[in-house]
Amino acid sequence: MSGIARAAMLFLVASGLSLTFGVLRVLNFAHGSLYMLGAFITYSIWKFLLIPVVGFYVATFLATLIMAICGIVIEFLLLRRLYSRGWPEQLLGTYAIILIITDLVKWLWKGDFYSIPRPKPFTGAVLLFGFPFPSYNFFVILLGLALVVFLWWLVYRTRIGDIIRAAAHDREMVAALGIPIPWLFTWIFVLGSSIAGLSGGVAGPFGSIGLGMDIDIIIECFAVVVIGGMGSLPGTLLGSFIVGQVYSFGIMFKPQWALGFIFMVMAVILIIRPWGIFGRPER
Amino acid sequence: MMQKHLEKKESILKRGWWLILLILASLLAPFIFTEFYLNILCEALVMSLFALSFNLLFGYMGQLSFGQAAFFGLGGYAVAMLMTKVALNFWLSLLAGPILAALIGLIVGYFCVRLRGIYFSILTLAFGQLIFVIVFKWHNFTGGDDGIQGVFPPDFLKSATVYYYLILLVFLASAFILWRIIHSPFGQTMKAMRENSERTEFLGINIARYQLITFVIAAAFSGLAGAIWVPFYRSVAPGYLTWIKSGEPVMAAILGGSSTFFGPILGMFVMTFFHAYVLGFTHFWPVIMGTLILIIIFLLPGGVLGFIQEKLKERREREKQET
Repeated sequence: MSGIARAAMLFLVASGLSLTFGVLRVLNFAHGSLYMLGAFITYSIWKFLLIPVVGFYVATFLATLIMAICGIVIEFLLLRRLYSRGWPEQLLGTYAIILIITDLVKWLWKGDFYSIPRPKPFTGAVLLFGFPFPSYNFFVILLGLALVVFLWWLVYRTRIGDIIRAAAHDREMVAALGIPIPWLFTWIFVLGSSIAGLSGGVAGPFGSIGLGMDIDIIIECFAVVVIGGMGSLPGTLLGSFIVGQVYSFGIMFKPQWALGFIFMVMAVILIIRPWGIFGRPER
Repeated sequence: MMQKHLEKKESILKRGWWLILLILASLLAPFIFTEFYLNILCEALVMSLFALSFNLLFGYMGQLSFGQAAFFGLGGYAVAMLMTKVALNFWLSLLAGPILAALIGLIVGYFCVRLRGIYFSILTLAFGQLIFVIVFKWHNFTGGDDGIQGVFPPDFLKSATVYYYLILLVFLASAFILWRIIHSPFGQTMKAMRENSERTEFLGINIARYQLITFVIAAAFSGLAGAIWVPFYRSVAPGYLTWIKSGEPVMAAILGGSSTFFGPILGMFVMTFFHAYVLGFTHFWPVIMGTLILIIIFLLPGGVLGFIQEKLKERREREKQET
């Protein structure tokens, strides 16, 4: 069950990564760093506001907004110039963002660890099959489900979604139809980075906030998107589920090797279907 | 035919003069530099070897590995553990570094070479990070967070100057071997795979096997770089295996120019000395490195050497047109 909560957390982060890759065809290495930045910003706003009960939710919401603005800035200043380049440069460009954000966080928050107490009404634990289970996990799961529904609705049920799917398939054709691709890309990236900010905020009470949380999550997200197939919404969902479960069971048996188990699954998938379960082969 | 051969030989002498000059200069370096700069020079040489092994994959095979530091670290850990725990002979331990790295490289590479482009980078990054986590968490075997201290080379190698010559020797020998590999038929096959893997496959070349061999060679040389570095630094820590370390050769190759053999070396030298200089007044090195990466990507897409090469080519063509 805690595996499902973990899966929901992973889905929150990985969906943003997968969405940007699916449409922009740029793998955002820095997605984990945006997530980390979101977590730190949420902490600071929460600490600053100190409003009982709703403080955490307000802080997370504001952090999401701030990350959306960060997304606009990064897309405008950097990514926009990288679309026409080869993927090694895109990778290195987003890697540079990681280095900059990491130092920024180190400088502003002194590299300490922080934690946010679980917000009301999710402070307690629920008994499930006789085992206590933190009720905050339900909040994460619910939020994950809400995001699934929202993204599904956005991608498959709206006109914007039609454009997104068409652009993922053939961007020249979409541009030829008079749709401003650069703007679409900006908004997709903003959506991706605000999802990163949101998930970072939610991650606060889930674990602890500190440097290094970015690389931890991004590695697992890579496992998720590789298993599920990059740029695929159902793939990300399934991938998160698999990785979350494998990780939780791994923790029960041999904590040190939990990550190793995930990699075994990933290796098997890569041998059978290198492009992931729901992905499509390149070219 | 004979004429052509002679011409070629002459051109090597003519074009290689700066190389001979550089080697001579590096032999004299300990008499010119202070100990501080000699240490940095040692680091630059080791890291250049690391960058060269990385560029074998990136520049010549066209695959960007983001987990190369794992092999560097494994080589270092092999030496450190064999010398401190088993008290094995220094030279044998040194040999064990690249062997261990190559063995792990064989396993990791077996999975990675099935993938292209971005997927290859992700998988190498993931495996690199996995190896890092194993080393980091396996406290009673690897020392975990603390790493291993007190890795001393034999007495006659303890002075920085003598060890510098050892590093220089290893570096020159390795660079020569890598140069020969790249300019052998095997190296040509590698480049063919980079340019058009489909056509290369039509020639009856088993791409996965060739890439695996290259991957193992690159891992071995990264391991050698780590192995030679650790006794000089006297200690090893899990930080050597992280992706920040993996990013350094990527950065050096891009900075110097990944399409040239000497590009990564130049890049690494610039980076190492710049790093030492920056550390003098701030420890926020990553943010400077990040900014530097962005500047290079936007202003010098082919790296410094690539840029010079391009300009030289343009000039030669202009001269040709004039005559």
